[in-house]
Amino acid sequence: MEARPWLRTMKARALVRLWSIFGERLWIVVSMGFPVLTSLALSLLYYSIGATGYIGFAILGGVMVSFWGNVLWSMASQFNWDKQEGLFEIYLTSPGSLSAILIGMSIGGIIGTVPSAIAVILIGWVLFHPVVAASWGAVALAFGLTLASLYSMGMTLSSLYLTYGREAESINNVLQDPVSMLSGIYFPSIGAGSPFPIALQAAASLIPLTIGMEALRGALFSAQSVASIWPELAVLAAMAVIFLFVSRAALDTLERMGRRDGTIAVRIR
Amino acid sequence: MGIQHDLAWTRLPVALALRVVSPFAAAMTVSIIYWFGTSNSGPTVAFDPSQLAYVLVGSVLYAQVASYAWVPTVAVAEGKNLAVFPHIYLTARSTALYLAGRAVSAFVISTIASAGALAASYYVLGSFLHATIPLNVTALTAAMVLFALVVDFPAALGMGYFLGAYSLYASKFEWSLPGYIAGLLMVFSGALFPTSVLPFPLSTMAHYLPFTQFIAAARDAIIPGTSGNYLLSLGLCILGGGVLLLSGLLVYFAAERKARRDGVIDRRMA
Repeated sequence: MEARPWLRTMKARALVRLWSIFGERLWIVVSMGFPVLTSLALSLLYYSIGATGYIGFAILGGVMVSFWGNVLWSMASQFNWDKQEGLFEIYLTSPGSLSAILIGMSIGGIIGTVPSAIAVILIGWVLFHPVVAASWGAVALAFGLTLASLYSMGMTLSSLYLTYGREAESINNVLQDPVSMLSGIYFPSIGAGSPFPIALQAAASLIPLTIGMEALRGALFSAQSVASIWPELAVLAAMAVIFLFVSRAALDTLERMGRRDGTIAVRIR
Repeated sequence: MGIQHDLAWTRLPVALALRVVSPFAAAMTVSIIYWFGTSNSGPTVAFDPSQLAYVLVGSVLYAQVASYAWVPTVAVAEGKNLAVFPHIYLTARSTALYLAGRAVSAFVISTIASAGALAASYYVLGSFLHATIPLNVTALTAAMVLFALVVDFPAALGMGYFLGAYSLYASKFEWSLPGYIAGLLMVFSGALFPTSVLPFPLSTMAHYLPFTQFIAAARDAIIPGTSGNYLLSLGLCILGGGVLLLSGLLVYFAAERKARRDGVIDRRMA
């Protein structure tokens, strides 16, 4: 596979996503609503019970829920929607690589979600002045690896959702809140402070967001260095690579099956 | 049609179970936040099971409203996408009744789902947190909570008409409205914390919202030792709901007339 067409495909798909977001200014504001309001409400909950030391958890959660929402609704569902609109056939018949399209979509999605994340941070900072004791290098590394593993998971889900029809949207609705709860976006769901039994904590640890949130909280609020959180960082890196390969394999399999059974062009099932 | 649309796409038990998952997880999340915050903030902050019940009931109820108040919006948006909306409009020269019907069906489904979510989270939280959550569930208190939900319906429908009016003209942002509704209700309906936490005048405005009052009434019914006044809360809810429904209907009818003049009733991309 040549690098240049692959990179151009990736860049093209990323630009389409960026234009679709930044080309409509109102869309930027609209996409901020859910994470900002949820983060505000949960910060106020921590504040109202006197647990002001944990308000930062709610703000960090609001930042990460923006990306999680983007992974679910703009990554996982995207190929399914593209298929319904007839775009997926064009992807398949074009010389562009599907992996490049997915990675371009991820990069565009990450950049497009940044304004929402910044809004959560600014509003949270101005209203609550959360206490931060950060090891910024570790924060940056944990944040980058969390996004890498999260969007890799989104690519895998995107491949799997292709096999579904209208169920995909229901699956997304069902996944959003339970994964937010299990992955401990707003409170620790694994290790010390978790209310969950060990088996559930083990299951939650299979979600990249769980490990990422644990690493981010440690680095941002307890000044844990890279040396302290390296196991989480290593797991996140491994998850990113594994999900990338799984998504590639899943796409290849689905494409093969689709061609064999003639279902690639079937829009509604 | 609403029941068919929302539930008949798969087997009924599966469709209902899927509806329970999201409010259950949302209720679990905020309840665990309360537990975590109070259990790890030193001796000055104490875990109180009654407060846990307050948060649990509030979170289930705001989720119930959030899950049906936006249905008029999606009924318009989806109807336009599938080209059925103009036909519905033509049959009666208005779609207000159709939207009310869709809201009623969504109300019934979300009420069943919320009851399931409350029961599931009550047992799971009790098990995880090793706490007994003080809820007084009898036939009478359950009926009182159900009555509070019904009393709140006009307010939610009124909000639905406002959003539906917007949806007649919008073609993409309407899909983000559920998040806004859920988020605003979380902040301003006293679902998770008393409205007095908010700064003035927001606290006063939030206190008199019909959504705040119906949640307060439901808490009065089901949480022992609550100091509120059930009937007064319901009275305020009816009053606020009446104003919201009337103004929502007026705005919707005006938007519908304008949409007809502007030719957007059958336009998919506004």
